[in-house]
Amino acid sequence: MRRIPVNHPANPVSVRGRETTTDKGSSSMALIEAEDLTKSFRQADKDPGLAGSLRHLVRRRYQEKLAVDHISLRVGAGEAVAYVGPNGAGKSTTVKLLSGILVPTSGQVRIDGLVPHENRMAVAQRIGVLFGQRTQLWWDLTVADSLSTLRDVYGVDPAVHRRRLARFDEVLGLGEILPVVGRKLSLGQRVRADLAAALLHAPPVVYLDEPTIGLDVGVKDRVRAFLRSLADEGTTVMLTSHDLQDIEDVCHRLVIIDGGRIIFDGSMAALKDEFAKERLLRLETVEPLDPQALRPLLPLTEVRQGEHPREVLIRFDRFKVTAAQVVAATGTLAEITDFRVDEPQIEDVIRRVYTGELLLGSGAARG
Amino acid sequence: MTWNPRPYLALARATARSAVVFRLQFALSLFSVLFQLVAMLAVWHALLSHKPLTGFTWPKMEVYLLVTFTAGAVVSNFSDFRISYKIRNGQVALDLVKPLDYQRARLAETVGGLGGELLSVLLVWAVGLAFGVRLDLPALRYLALFAVSLVLLVLLKFTLTYLTGLLCFWTKNYLGIYWARLAIVSLLSGALVPLSLLPHWLGETAQWLPFAGMTSTPGLLLIGNATGGQAYRLVAVQLVWAVLLWSAARLAWRGAMRQVTIQGG
Amino acid sequence: MSPLRITRIYLRMLGTHLRGSLEYEWDFWLMVFAAVLTQLVSVVFLRVVFTLIPDLDGWTFWPIVIMFGLISFGEGIGSLFFEGMWRLAYRINQGELDYMLVRPYPLALQVTSAEIGLNGLGNITSGGAMIVLGLCRAPIHWSPGLVLVAPLLFVSAMTIKVSISVTTNAASFWIQGPNPLFAMAVHQGGELTRYPLTLFPIALRSVFCLVVPFAFVGFFPAEFVTGGHALWIGLATPAVAAYCVLVARFAFRRGVLRYESTGS
Repeated sequence: MRRIPVNHPANPVSVRGRETTTDKGSSSMALIEAEDLTKSFRQADKDPGLAGSLRHLVRRRYQEKLAVDHISLRVGAGEAVAYVGPNGAGKSTTVKLLSGILVPTSGQVRIDGLVPHENRMAVAQRIGVLFGQRTQLWWDLTVADSLSTLRDVYGVDPAVHRRRLARFDEVLGLGEILPVVGRKLSLGQRVRADLAAALLHAPPVVYLDEPTIGLDVGVKDRVRAFLRSLADEGTTVMLTSHDLQDIEDVCHRLVIIDGGRIIFDGSMAALKDEFAKERLLRLETVEPLDPQALRPLLPLTEVRQGEHPREVLIRFDRFKVTAAQVVAATGTLAEITDFRVDEPQIEDVIRRVYTGELLLGSGAARG
Repeated sequence: MTWNPRPYLALARATARSAVVFRLQFALSLFSVLFQLVAMLAVWHALLSHKPLTGFTWPKMEVYLLVTFTAGAVVSNFSDFRISYKIRNGQVALDLVKPLDYQRARLAETVGGLGGELLSVLLVWAVGLAFGVRLDLPALRYLALFAVSLVLLVLLKFTLTYLTGLLCFWTKNYLGIYWARLAIVSLLSGALVPLSLLPHWLGETAQWLPFAGMTSTPGLLLIGNATGGQAYRLVAVQLVWAVLLWSAARLAWRGAMRQVTIQGG
Repeated sequence: MSPLRITRIYLRMLGTHLRGSLEYEWDFWLMVFAAVLTQLVSVVFLRVVFTLIPDLDGWTFWPIVIMFGLISFGEGIGSLFFEGMWRLAYRINQGELDYMLVRPYPLALQVTSAEIGLNGLGNITSGGAMIVLGLCRAPIHWSPGLVLVAPLLFVSAMTIKVSISVTTNAASFWIQGPNPLFAMAVHQGGELTRYPLTLFPIALRSVFCLVVPFAFVGFFPAEFVTGGHALWIGLATPAVAAYCVLVARFAFRRGVLRYESTGS
């Protein structure tokens, strides 16, 4: 299913000193390039009520709403990028700018060297898009007919199409929903069908905007596994999602956007390492242990009672204290029967970025 | 039965506001009626330059056509499509929950839009008069009848629009109903051709239909072609039809409620 | 993409809506009935007019029927093959153009093929009937040249009609709201051109010739074919058609650049 990315001769191959690495090694060709990309929307500034409307008739006032504020991004072939941010941060707007749906107010965007809104047809062959909240399937057609029509539009050879459908069936269970009419699809079925629709022409770049929204766990797992395999095969994947588990499972690079600006752009692992210095150690003791007694022994940690008197939780910075030290200290007070170390979740880290707890500074490779 | 006028007034105000907010759309919906006026003026000018037709001279025709414009401008497309839009989009559920009489609420909204519509009507009349349209006002009692006739015109047009809007509960396709209604009304209301100039059998029947009250009756009253007993008869017919259609709409509403398929969504 | 491929895919996309349209049988017949009724009313009007006077500014009954027929036929073609354009305002308003913008097929064609107006069949039949009857009954001096040129003029007239629809609906990219009121208003204005252009004051005539060339949809082609005086202008119809297509293309492209979608 892998398609060789198109080499555009005019596109200079360069790598700016960037910390981004992928498991396939540093990619030297930027498939997606955004430079100082900005998009602002004009909204009418009106007072409420009839009087306000009449006043607006006479004197118009407009407000500029900056949705995307000078973002710069380079994504190489085969990268799997997560694009994350709170609601209204500008994620969907960015995806639309990168796919040519919106025209930038200023700045540049190039997909495989082409400007999307000037080369729509050419760029369309190179990208696949999935908007989780909308379907591109025809309401009155079966999934099979919808996909067949799209096959025609994209100019995919019928034999190749059949093979791809078989692959989708293997991985997503597409076969069972092929005969279902568009309007009768359940949400999970619809997303799977839309995924097939986005990929049936094997584009080298794929944008997925909230692909797992509203799906149940089983389908989510299947979709994530599929996206992982896509990324492994060299397709460039750009994923925006509120479900941080999606991101952790599929992507290696994380870009965080807030208020229209990129506040972090780097590898997921680096982020975890850099900021998720915490570990949480759960210890179970034979006899109940009073946290008060433990605290003076472990000054750099936070000690709490667990779910029951014989469990104690210790949160610590692993660069300052080691798990071994914590266990040893606790062992002097009580006999330990069980312990568990909880790794940092990217969810927690990102949540703390959103809430402002974690301010990203010079440590992160800036976007 | 006492009812609180306040929520209805609020609805009227809200519609007036939306006419200002969506002023472009509002204006455009009136343009179509304006174009029709221009066309008819041109055609009838040519027609009447040959020879006068029974009861219609060119000056009288000008005034008659201005009344046609007035009839077309009130309860314009803007209100029309709004009434049916809610039904088509299944938003009617929200309105049903409000403790308001659905029919009267739609009437309130229509009245709200009336402000802007009447303003444009007055504007067009002013322009017409400035360009030399001669308005010979009839006797005072016929002028009064004319005023009554205008009010009944609004009521008739509203109920007809509302009735056809209700059909959206049974069919998804409002445009078809809209065009059919437009075609029938334009012919039988005397908007295209004064009823007295239609083939005898058609003109005679049309006089007794509700559509006559939607252009012909007020038009004839203003230009003085309807006098004496005939004038009172025409207005009476208008009144009867206004009441009948209003009641018919209530029945249709009950039928629609039984048929409630909330479409769209 | 080759024109053949574009057309084939176009017809295919149109066809996808056929099933959906046919499902609502009552609606289909209602639309056809409404279209035919509208035609009937205009014919009644014409008949009445011509019982009152012998001719309308030099035009007799049958030539005017041809003109009415041309305009209706154009409407029918527009409804059947290009109906989707009238929903453009709604799609822009709801942000439904997104997926269309990332497919390798001209956006305007995706929009127009997104609906199929089967009621157009009503207009096509009644319009066609009016044209045929008019051509038979009207005093036309048929010549081989005329037989060749007439279809060209008629096709150009249809093209102009559709182009005007595209251009005016493109205004929805600038004017907010789910209804294409600008396009509807212009369309209504076009209804005036059912009547001989010479009836109208010079200002209006210039508008319909130069600004929104509705005059070339019915009047000038009908003039030319029925041997009217403005002979040479009728021949300009194909050129006007080409011009209109270019304008439509330009307007639509500029409009797309303004598309803002919905959501953030």
